[in-house]
Amino acid sequence: MTTYMDIISLLILVSSFVLVANKKQTSYIKTFRIQSFLIALSMAAIGFRHFQQNGRIDAFILCALIIGLKVIYIPNLLNKTYDKVEHKVEKDFYLNIPILTLLACGIAVFVYFIVTGIGQFDNRDITMQVVNMVSVVLIGIFFMITRKKAIGQIVGFLVVENGIFGTAMFAAEGMPLIVDIGIFIDLLTGVLIMGLMVFRINDKFDSINTNKLKKLKG
Amino acid sequence: MKFIYLAVPVVIVILLLFIKKRKFIYELGISASLLEMLITLSITADAVSGGQASFKMSLGIFYLDSFSIIVLDIITILGFLIHIFSVGYMERDCKSGKIDEKQVRLFFILLNAFIFTMILSVSVKNMGIMWVAIEATTLASVFLVGFYNKRESLEAAWKYIIICSVGIAMAFLGIVFLHLSSTGVLTHEHQFLNFTDLTVNAANLDSSMLKFAFMFILVGFGTKVGFAPLHTWLPAAHSQAPSPVSAMLSGVLLNSAMYGIIRTFTIVNINLGNSVFAGRLMIFFGIFSIAIAAIVILTQREYKSLLAYSSIEHMGIIALAVGIFTPASVFAGLMHIINHSFTKSMLFLSTGSILQKYHTAKISRIKGILKTMPVSGTVFILGLLAIAGTPPFGIFACEWNVLLSIFNEHHFVTGSIAAVLFAVIFAGIVHCLFSMFYGETPETIEPGEPNKSGAVVLIVLFVIVLAAGLYMPDFLFNLLSNASDVIMGEI
Repeated sequence: MTTYMDIISLLILVSSFVLVANKKQTSYIKTFRIQSFLIALSMAAIGFRHFQQNGRIDAFILCALIIGLKVIYIPNLLNKTYDKVEHKVEKDFYLNIPILTLLACGIAVFVYFIVTGIGQFDNRDITMQVVNMVSVVLIGIFFMITRKKAIGQIVGFLVVENGIFGTAMFAAEGMPLIVDIGIFIDLLTGVLIMGLMVFRINDKFDSINTNKLKKLKG
Repeated sequence: MKFIYLAVPVVIVILLLFIKKRKFIYELGISASLLEMLITLSITADAVSGGQASFKMSLGIFYLDSFSIIVLDIITILGFLIHIFSVGYMERDCKSGKIDEKQVRLFFILLNAFIFTMILSVSVKNMGIMWVAIEATTLASVFLVGFYNKRESLEAAWKYIIICSVGIAMAFLGIVFLHLSSTGVLTHEHQFLNFTDLTVNAANLDSSMLKFAFMFILVGFGTKVGFAPLHTWLPAAHSQAPSPVSAMLSGVLLNSAMYGIIRTFTIVNINLGNSVFAGRLMIFFGIFSIAIAAIVILTQREYKSLLAYSSIEHMGIIALAVGIFTPASVFAGLMHIINHSFTKSMLFLSTGSILQKYHTAKISRIKGILKTMPVSGTVFILGLLAIAGTPPFGIFACEWNVLLSIFNEHHFVTGSIAAVLFAVIFAGIVHCLFSMFYGETPETIEPGEPNKSGAVVLIVLFVIVLAAGLYMPDFLFNLLSNASDVIMGEI
């Protein structure tokens, strides 16, 4: 079981590296879909274990929610938004891809040193999973600050959320169900609102380049 | 049963979806917020009738104690007053063609949703649900910030949702670690993440994990509180939102986020046995926020942004007071929460009237407010004196007490820096804003209050602010000392 979880968490980390290396906005969305699918897989594994141990189906509900929302609905929504607002492919990053990937590696190493420094993680088989997931969170934030377009920032936010959800899942086998459901409601409304805002920004600024939003300073 | 106040805004939001007439929308909004206020005040009456005894009320995941009641009362009292002010404000915007009827309805729906998320965040004991509610406050208020749909307001709203969502996500990572720190200590599922159970069992939690959790929660909720350097969304959102919303954001929302930090702060301090680790972090963020605010206030050109920076300053003062962590300083911090909320809401509401009269946000283009608008102008100038820390207003007493408790703890450097910064901010506010009151009113502007019912609200708020500075009734004193006991770790 531990090996299986280790491998999945590693794949999730790899998917966030892939994200940083993506050039097109449509590929961001694809990568996010794959990453969410991996999270759903690990949730399913936890679900099987819980079901065998005490017949609980909480984790299955969450797994279904992840597939419904993060693998199917939200990526489709983002694709639709993209189709409506973007008509030409433009460069979307400040630094070039190899440098971004190298910096992302640096983040993962940094997280390794920080997390292994926490007493409770010494010699426990979840250390690697937690390191991977916290790295995903930070790489998500890093992704957000290195992209100019609004859609890139939304995907970055979703990846941060995936990482945090992953941390909760791998380290504590999920939060209490009611909290998890609350998080999903928040996430869904959040993405819907951000999607709507992208339309409005596109209307007013004729672009979704967020570096054009610079009137309010100080 | 008393928790019924949570249902009121939900019912209103649903009803408002079906009501089209403006007049009904206004009446419904005001009466519902009045009802909410009365229910929470009756709970407060229960809480203070026990005299010295501490107060607790619990039902499932819902929980209230003296500390949450203080924040809850601020939300509902200001919710009611801001509702009344909004009616006049929206009516005028609607008549001048700035917004249409549909937007008025949207405004009240969102305002009530916003109030609901805030009262929910202070009425639960589960940190996870508190997080969900605080994240929901952002979602409910984003369209209120971008309400006018101009370029600047969209920019402010985008900044607000992106920065706050990511910030709050960090807080969730902290809550995950908080949960991990209780592995093996809290065994029943219904105890998980409850700050009551965490406080009772605080001594057995894993310290290194808890420290990690606190750092994330401080930075995460701190983004929402507006600690420098995470504050960049705050001036943009406060200056672009309609004034009643700015009043709500500054007077109420920041407190709810601060509430989340303080709850965790208590747990960490009990676990570590002292406040050195967490207290120093709070003091650092506090002083840094005050310093950044002081520098920016000196050079500000727009009055609403200036007030927003002043909110950052006051949140810094509260963090500083709580971070010192003596009964006196925590007491002063709580008093500051109350005084700041009412004073700052009053100021933002009066800027609403000024903005509707002069149609500009620039300080340099406004002259002669006192002649043009006797009520709003007078309240604004006195409110500025209050917020800058002039006696006899409450904020002066709070700042004085905070400084005293800092020096009593022999933090001489911190205390001196804070005192100098308070002086700089006082000078900055006087220097920047007082030119607005003198000079000749431009001829194009007719004298008179734009919002009559709003002027009454301003007077009521001013009476509250003045009374809070001059006199503290026994029941308030008991409530505050019980709340400071709660923060000091007594459950």
